[in-house]
Amino acid sequence: MKSKVLIARRKAGNAIFVGFCWITAAIALAALAAILFSLFKDGIGALNLQTFTMDTPAAGSPGGLRNAIVGSIMMCALAMVIAVVIGVLAGTWLAEYAGDAVYGKVVRFVNDVLLSAPSILIGLAIYQLLVAPFHGFSGLAGSVALALLATPVVTRTTEDVLKLQPSALREAGVALGSPLASTIRRILWRSANTGILTGGLLAFARISGETAPLLFTALNNQFFSLNMTKPTANLPSVIFQGGLSAFDDLRNLAWAGALIIAVAVLGVNIIARTLARENRQS
Amino acid sequence: MNVQATAETYESYVERLPEGSAKLDIRNLNFYYGKSKALHGVSTAFGEKQITALIGPSGCGKSTLLRTLNRIYALYPGQRAEGEIIFDGENILEGKQDLSALRARIGMVFQKPTPFPMSIYDNVAYGVRLYENLGRADLDARVEESLRKAALWDEVKDKLHTSGQGLSGGQQQRLCVARGVAVRPEVILLDEPASALDPISTAKLEETLLELKADHTIVIVTHNLGQAARISDYTGFMFLGRMIEFTTTEQLFTNPRGKRTQDYVTGRFG
Repeated sequence: MKSKVLIARRKAGNAIFVGFCWITAAIALAALAAILFSLFKDGIGALNLQTFTMDTPAAGSPGGLRNAIVGSIMMCALAMVIAVVIGVLAGTWLAEYAGDAVYGKVVRFVNDVLLSAPSILIGLAIYQLLVAPFHGFSGLAGSVALALLATPVVTRTTEDVLKLQPSALREAGVALGSPLASTIRRILWRSANTGILTGGLLAFARISGETAPLLFTALNNQFFSLNMTKPTANLPSVIFQGGLSAFDDLRNLAWAGALIIAVAVLGVNIIARTLARENRQS
Repeated sequence: MNVQATAETYESYVERLPEGSAKLDIRNLNFYYGKSKALHGVSTAFGEKQITALIGPSGCGKSTLLRTLNRIYALYPGQRAEGEIIFDGENILEGKQDLSALRARIGMVFQKPTPFPMSIYDNVAYGVRLYENLGRADLDARVEESLRKAALWDEVKDKLHTSGQGLSGGQQQRLCVARGVAVRPEVILLDEPASALDPISTAKLEETLLELKADHTIVIVTHNLGQAARISDYTGFMFLGRMIEFTTTEQLFTNPRGKRTQDYVTGRFG
């Protein structure tokens, strides 16, 4: 005879658990929706053509975000180049060559520490290494600080996705007479490209809104400049300064900047995923 | 499973091949996964341009034996082999072997199809490009020849530049055979190549192997006794890391000398 009480109790437990999951998911989504709502509400109103054609103004005069957008793009791009090159190679080494070696374990551990390091510490470290000795803030120092934040993310995801590749694929390449190194480059990387790309995107999303490390390194720049050896304008700093400003027009500019970053991260995500999918199907 | 293994327990009936017909001659081969010993003094030989089947219950060491022949096990630290595997007069377990070059001469097809994430054409051309500098036309010809040998050409000739991963399981496995054949290895090792295939694909694969025998020495590990009986010239029966019986396929299936062999081929254990 089956116990109806047991079954009823289990059903009730299940309902409570599922209900709890629903509620917590709803809370998280509500917070996200609230952020996006205020971002779009205040951001879209602040956006206009001037935002993209003029540079950051002094309070009270008209202006835009051209210098900050260009500066952010330059610094993020350089940071991502550094991070992808180092991160993919380091992740590959950890997944394919490190094995149980002590050095591998140390590298993995240090990488995990960097992964969760507060970004302001990274900014301070780069300030000591690249700003103070040269007596000047620079976009290059900013890029390096951002790269230091992005590299551990790329390293970790590259290692993880390579370890997920079937060992039969690795063996099949090697069994054809292909040395391990070219098997990795030409077969495993290709097979893992969507995962590696995702790692890159995560890293990009992480650094694109970082302010703390840039305050110590790139500082900011009121004017348009392509010279990365000098202080370089960037969106997060403009948001930071504008958001705290007493002037409405600077606060609006900050909202516009925040919206631009959010949309850029979203756009890059969509483009990269579409490319990866097409790559997979061809 | 803690069977006390003594020499007496395992009567072994290993027939020598006729003088000069062996392509791979294995002498007293021991194999270790770390501390655990997986092959115990295996001695046998695989005849040139013949198909040799390795049969036996799971875990008996068939795949391990196969994986020593192209030294694929060397990818994994902790796995090691002792003894001799004579290939063209040279012990491939010793000395400074260029393992990549060795593997280009001794190809391997795995249990699960492993198409590379690239087009059908590039899958086949991959190994060729590593070792030969062929012009476009020659490479095209080699790809076609290999796909024909693997009985896949007619099915893929119109979509050579689509992904190899889009093929069916049976087609993927024949693509792997074509890829292996394309580098013109002397020996082809197959590790249960048909276990994931349906009967029709299996029949096609067996046909392919019989044709490849003209140019290649083939060693195939299989759980399918019917398959071993249909295509092989010689068959080895392994048990607990030992070669129990090795003789012509006809003899092994119709008149085995070992009691264990008899029990296994008649389905009484295994």
